[in-house]
Amino acid sequence: MVQGSAGICRNVTISNHPLGEQMKYIVLYLVLVVSLFLPFFVPAAEKAAMPMPLPELVLEVPENPRHKEYLGLTGKTGTDFSIRDIDADILVIELFSMYCPYCQKEAPAVNELFAKMREISKNGPVVKIIGLGVANSQFEVDHFRDTYEIAFPLFADEDKTMFRALAGEGTPTFIGCRLKDGERPVIVLRQNGGFASSATFLHELIDKGGPQ
Amino acid sequence: MRQKIFLAVIGIFLDLAVVVGNGLAANDTLHDSIYNPGHLKPVDSSLNVAVGEPAPDFSLPSVAGREVTLSQYRGKKKVVLSFVPAAWTPVCSDQWPGYNISRKYFEEHNAILLGITVDNIPTLHAWVRQMGSLWFDVLSDFWPHGRVADAYGVLRSDGTAERALFFIDTEGVIRDIVVSDINVRPPLEEVVAKLAAMP
Repeated sequence: MVQGSAGICRNVTISNHPLGEQMKYIVLYLVLVVSLFLPFFVPAAEKAAMPMPLPELVLEVPENPRHKEYLGLTGKTGTDFSIRDIDADILVIELFSMYCPYCQKEAPAVNELFAKMREISKNGPVVKIIGLGVANSQFEVDHFRDTYEIAFPLFADEDKTMFRALAGEGTPTFIGCRLKDGERPVIVLRQNGGFASSATFLHELIDKGGPQ
Repeated sequence: MRQKIFLAVIGIFLDLAVVVGNGLAANDTLHDSIYNPGHLKPVDSSLNVAVGEPAPDFSLPSVAGREVTLSQYRGKKKVVLSFVPAAWTPVCSDQWPGYNISRKYFEEHNAILLGITVDNIPTLHAWVRQMGSLWFDVLSDFWPHGRVADAYGVLRSDGTAERALFFIDTEGVIRDIVVSDINVRPPLEEVVAKLAAMP
């Protein structure tokens, strides 16, 4: 049986088959098309590989009462809380640096994103954002916040522990996480570099981070 | 023959696909422009000046196209000299953008900032443009190579400069010196504290 099958295969090779020549050109044509357009689809392919589990990240309860309320924290200022305890359906973690000129340039757009998040959270999924100042001291984080009048909570990641845990590659990076789906929190979106439009980014975030 | 032509065409398209793909990747982030020299010897020079001594005077060309002389600020402004090792390297490429949004701290203390590297003007021009528009002068200590850096004792054996800050009062006297580990950016609060401490 096996021998017979092998024999048939040997006899009906593509090059000898009447349709073989055409088939070969079709296959080569497909290879050509795929190879031409593959580079454009690489980012999409990377995103398709999501979701990944959100690593356990511990921060300190901020002193600012508005930030405490925003994050839904009740613990004492300075005590630890898990990022997973933030009261949100979807959380964006911005990796930034006070020294990064691209983060500086992006800051007004991120403020715009924050405003849109607040608006959409009134009637839709609750979407929140925090920033982690990569290799920044608290002084540097505060200076960045004051310079760009940033109203959402920023935290210092001075030793880059959280940056590494989140597999950060550069700044700015925006990591979208789904927090409340009854399962382990997951990363659903990763944007390396700035986003072109805050509305489009928010739409994509809700699309990927909302109830599945 | 037909087969060979078809394969040649495929080859050309595949090459094009690779070029287009690489081009997109290169434009994806400007971080790709930065050359990473890896971990370097933290400090590789010995200071030729000390706190309390007059700061060696110099004139250097700036990226803005003018000649800047240290003594032109005497009696008017405090001066902070920020030497950084080289253009297009990791830590240097964000240290000055950080100072770029920190102008208020310098102005609060009647100080100006002068950035200095041993790179030539065309290189500095391209690098500064990538950082955006800087409020302070960026000076080229390229030729004679590193003469000013050497006068202050911050010229490394490979011809680059240390990551160093000199705080000079209105009388032209050095009031503080910070020679950092070349691999590490000095924290902003340290700069602000030293500005505040200058008489």
